[in-house]
Amino acid sequence: MSQARVVETDVLVIGGGIAGCFAAIKAKEQGLDVTIVDKAYAGKSGSSIAAGGWWMVFNPEWGHDHDASMEDVTVNGEYLNNRDWDEIILKEAWATYRDLVSWGVEFPVASDKIEGYWDTYFTGPRAARAPNLPWGIVPLRHRKTSPVLRTQAEKVGIKIVDRIMITDLLKQDGKMVGAVGFSYDTGDLHVFKAKATITSGGNNCFRSPGFHTACLTGDAEAMAYRAGAEITGKEFPDTHFNLANYPAWKSNAELYAAYMYFTDAEGESINGTVGFDLFMEFAVHAGRGPVIWDLDAAAPGDVEAMREYVRKRANPVEAERIGLDYTRGGKYPCIGGSAAGVSSQQTSGVWVVDTKCATSLPGLYAAGDSCGARVCGASHRGPGFGVTGAAVTGKRAGLGAAEYALQAEKPVTDEKELARLKELIYAPAQRRSGFSPRWVTQVLQNTMIPYFILYIKHGERLQAALTIVEFMRDHLVPKLMAKDPHELRLTHETANMVLNAEMILRASLFRTESRGLHYREDYPRRDDPTWLAWTKVKKKQGRMNILKEPVPREWWPDLFKPYQQRYPERFPRE
Amino acid sequence: MSIERIDPELCTGCGICVNSCPMDVIRMDEKGEKAIIKYPEECMCCDYCELDCPVDAIYVSPEKYAPLMVSWC
Amino acid sequence: MSSENALETDVLVIGGGIAGCFAAIKAKEQGLDVTIVDKAYAGKSGASIAAQIFWMVFNPEWTDNFDELMDTFVKSGEYINNRDWCEVILKDSLAIYQDMVAWGVEFHPDWSECIHMFPPFTGIRPKFRKAAPVLRKQAEKVGVKIIDRVMCTDLLKQDGKIVGAIGFSYDTGDLYVFKAKATVLTAGGSSYKPPQFAMRSITGDGEGMAYRAGAEITGKEFLTTFPTIASYPLWGRVTWGYLNLFPRFATDGEGNRALPFSDYLEPGPEGFRREWKLNWEFLVHAGRGPILWDLTPVTDDDIKEAQRAETKSGYRAIEHERIGLDLNQRGKIPIAGGPAGYSQAGQAGVWVHDTKCTTSLPGLYAAGDCGGTRYNGSFLTNPGLGTSGSAVTGRRAGGAAAEYALQVEKPVIAKEEIGRLKKLVYASAERKSGFSPRWVTQLLQNTMMPYFILYIRHGERLQAALTMVEFLRDHLVPKLTAKDPHELRLAHETKNMVLSAEMMLRSSLFRTESRGLHYREDYPRRDDPTWLAWTKVKDERGRMKVSREPVPKEWWPDLSKPYEERYDLRFPGEFVE
Repeated sequence: MSQARVVETDVLVIGGGIAGCFAAIKAKEQGLDVTIVDKAYAGKSGSSIAAGGWWMVFNPEWGHDHDASMEDVTVNGEYLNNRDWDEIILKEAWATYRDLVSWGVEFPVASDKIEGYWDTYFTGPRAARAPNLPWGIVPLRHRKTSPVLRTQAEKVGIKIVDRIMITDLLKQDGKMVGAVGFSYDTGDLHVFKAKATITSGGNNCFRSPGFHTACLTGDAEAMAYRAGAEITGKEFPDTHFNLANYPAWKSNAELYAAYMYFTDAEGESINGTVGFDLFMEFAVHAGRGPVIWDLDAAAPGDVEAMREYVRKRANPVEAERIGLDYTRGGKYPCIGGSAAGVSSQQTSGVWVVDTKCATSLPGLYAAGDSCGARVCGASHRGPGFGVTGAAVTGKRAGLGAAEYALQAEKPVTDEKELARLKELIYAPAQRRSGFSPRWVTQVLQNTMIPYFILYIKHGERLQAALTIVEFMRDHLVPKLMAKDPHELRLTHETANMVLNAEMILRASLFRTESRGLHYREDYPRRDDPTWLAWTKVKKKQGRMNILKEPVPREWWPDLFKPYQQRYPERFPRE
Repeated sequence: MSIERIDPELCTGCGICVNSCPMDVIRMDEKGEKAIIKYPEECMCCDYCELDCPVDAIYVSPEKYAPLMVSWC
Repeated sequence: MSSENALETDVLVIGGGIAGCFAAIKAKEQGLDVTIVDKAYAGKSGASIAAQIFWMVFNPEWTDNFDELMDTFVKSGEYINNRDWCEVILKDSLAIYQDMVAWGVEFHPDWSECIHMFPPFTGIRPKFRKAAPVLRKQAEKVGVKIIDRVMCTDLLKQDGKIVGAIGFSYDTGDLYVFKAKATVLTAGGSSYKPPQFAMRSITGDGEGMAYRAGAEITGKEFLTTFPTIASYPLWGRVTWGYLNLFPRFATDGEGNRALPFSDYLEPGPEGFRREWKLNWEFLVHAGRGPILWDLTPVTDDDIKEAQRAETKSGYRAIEHERIGLDLNQRGKIPIAGGPAGYSQAGQAGVWVHDTKCTTSLPGLYAAGDCGGTRYNGSFLTNPGLGTSGSAVTGRRAGGAAAEYALQVEKPVIAKEEIGRLKKLVYASAERKSGFSPRWVTQLLQNTMMPYFILYIRHGERLQAALTMVEFLRDHLVPKLTAKDPHELRLAHETKNMVLSAEMMLRSSLFRTESRGLHYREDYPRRDDPTWLAWTKVKDERGRMKVSREPVPKEWWPDLSKPYEERYDLRFPGEFVE
């Protein structure tokens, strides 16, 4: 199972989703040899393939307002957004959209109709009102975007290697010079030697039900962490819910936006915003659950709006198969944790030191969901930023990596280091006894997914969960075993998820305040200016070290303004 | 799957299975004529209902899937 | 949902299994009015209905040696047995057996094969599902009233005395108030609805209601451990009989023989000498899992023998067929580890002061798996002691409760007390919002069941689990909801299991040593004489307090003997070069 296949390239892109494809195409434009390696099939893996939401565009000619946009992201992100990056994303979004159009991505509406699209889309009396966006959003067709990017990448001559799980980055003299991994079809070792490496390996998820990104196991952050990079923003969770009867089924997730009406068990409305903040978790924790998506209260206009939504966007099978008929009313209990383990997109990830996506490790660039660009700050600003941010950071990383590669020597890899990494890859396959990765994953899910660990946090509970996760790290992960290459993938994924869990818990314990999507019962308010800061975790002598990186003063809110004005969103009992 | 079926054709409505189940999975139907699987979530595959059924109307599968872990419910 | 049924009786027996039926029949002999109330159907509920492995009978005519048996008790219980009870169990067991024969309980016909099945104890084997139902019939025959499908939630207390219990029917939702002169608790042990063994109805209800009434609960740090078939964990009940016959064929992941008990102890005679110990957990923890039941070396004769024994025990072929288990295939069958969490029979339970099953609460007697009689010590000494122990303790409790009932007045119970408890009965049903008992049970299972919490313990992990359980106790349990009377039962069961988990964790944290089935990685040896003692938990002004009750000195081992001689079982790392 361990025949080595060696690929040499100028720029290696790990992960072929939206960010990875944009990065590769951009790097290729510089005339370099570029290779994408993907854990599944580039263009169809990770969360990119599921992107059926919105592409954010910013075009002043259409009346999009720069200052209002910046203000919107900043207030919503509670001052932890990196404004340099926000400026870049606003500025470069349009070009990424034009790229998509020219490469043949299909959109359901013509580009001249996209202005104010949200409002024409969700027309019902109870449609999500949150947006009133100062920028534009273009709806995407489900599963129609990232495959086109792959085709484009192939067209411009990028090499694509599918179905390889990358386990670790290669390091030589303090520089990143590629990566190693294995094929879970053949078990073969794959060595990628590269002048520059881009991680665009997506987010982390504890294989949670209902959010169809269970293949994302924090591989990018984990391998960057092991190589010595800094990881930021792990305390900010992404929240998604699903219908209780079929927690694993997708059930037309965005139909909720067309009819955004949730109640507690007593029938009291508990609506939040479309960004899916913690409103459900707060209601449940207060003993007001279950949370109900109440279709009985739908007015004819709501039903019409949902019909319109389904006609334009939905896959009817999704609702039919679970007997969900929005025209007939009904009260649907919702469960939480659909995205359990996912950290807020565009906030968490490998810390980047500049707007070219360079990390603290020379030769390593980060893009997409694994890029810690802190675009949205403490709370995800709703539609468009995730996908567009992936494209923009991808392009930036592609350019940054290419510039670096053009100046770098051909890497020489240390055979000893290769041998060490190879041993790590196959260790679980050598073990004839130990622990099954599926069981360890289950134990991890059981420890992390309850709402009172991941969303409604408290120091004591975080510490308790950390004790269990540390036990898993020290005692179970080193004894994971794999019977075949498929299970070998599972063992590495499990190890990466356990590492991500530790990052989430430590970052959450460290941030002794509440802000955005990070809520601590024992510290239930924002703490300015102490926590006008980002967290970073970093390996130091084998242990996870945690640091605070202050937000530049010029980005602080006006601290003379009263708290209530700085933060329009209220935590419970504020 | 756990308890899979109580065959209504065969069931005589004797109610023995209701008493054989320590978990309150089985109840009589509204008319009190046939036994029905009312709360399958609680089935523990003990198979006692099947063992005690005098007309072999019950089938218990040895498989039972645990619910997925969700954040609340 | 709350039509009210008030019943008056002299002796109330809560739980109609082996212990409960024996208690009721004994109390009835004193000419009293006796009522059994059962959460399911008396004679078919709890652990009793599953009892078929072995029934210990001490009979000098079967060449039993009393001193040898006492010695076995004490050595395997590691000196924290209550020897008074050991004697009583041995001495009363023959009369119990004779009663059962007289009442028509069916036993394995061929005694010669089973009386020595688990030496040095002797005994017989009841036919599967054939003992407890007969006991019910006998109870009915002598005039014991039986009320089925009523879950008792709390004991009634008046002037410091226990005077009955309150509960509800999960069919109708009706309230049941039982006023009694004396109350016997025989409601079984505790577990967390394990994914194996047919014991998911046993949720520590007896201990829970006794604890809330102010009784002391002992031995919660000692759990039994059961293996099961990994692919069909719940079906394991019917297949573990096979496992019993072939423990010598178990291997670890590397193919080494993996006896189910200590690595360092030679096995007894072929077969199954002692109750499952922690050896498989130790192996798994050392990274030597999975445990496989490797049938490759099984001979044709072995198979014939197994099949013959299985047929006799009353199992049907379908129980193996349905999961595709065919001994002739000589396969390797993965065994899943025992996340039972089932409390140890004859050890854990409501603390009893004497050999009459008297508890610290006047009017309350405890027997069977929820009687803290401690005859087994730190692990279940032998199969068969759970069942015959239940019968003996049940009978003792019934006799003592009757004596007490004969001397006391008819209880008068304050309306306010009944009103208060009634509110507690229906609190979950009144709530329209909150948490589902099924989800909270799942959380509890997830927290408690991993082997590294239940069996291979460490102070830090126990503390972490306790933090979670305290959160469940303080935040989720008070907000449990029930849509119907069936769910109301689930809510009360969940509450009792969470309480039981807290008791288990606190007792385990408190016992800072390893002994028998209680193993602490951070305290990996027995600690004599500090821990020649029992633990007790008790409610003290709303908080759980743990205390230590020393074993009488005359029952201590000879401390001048070296440790290795006092304890012939080794924990990992003990005396290994």
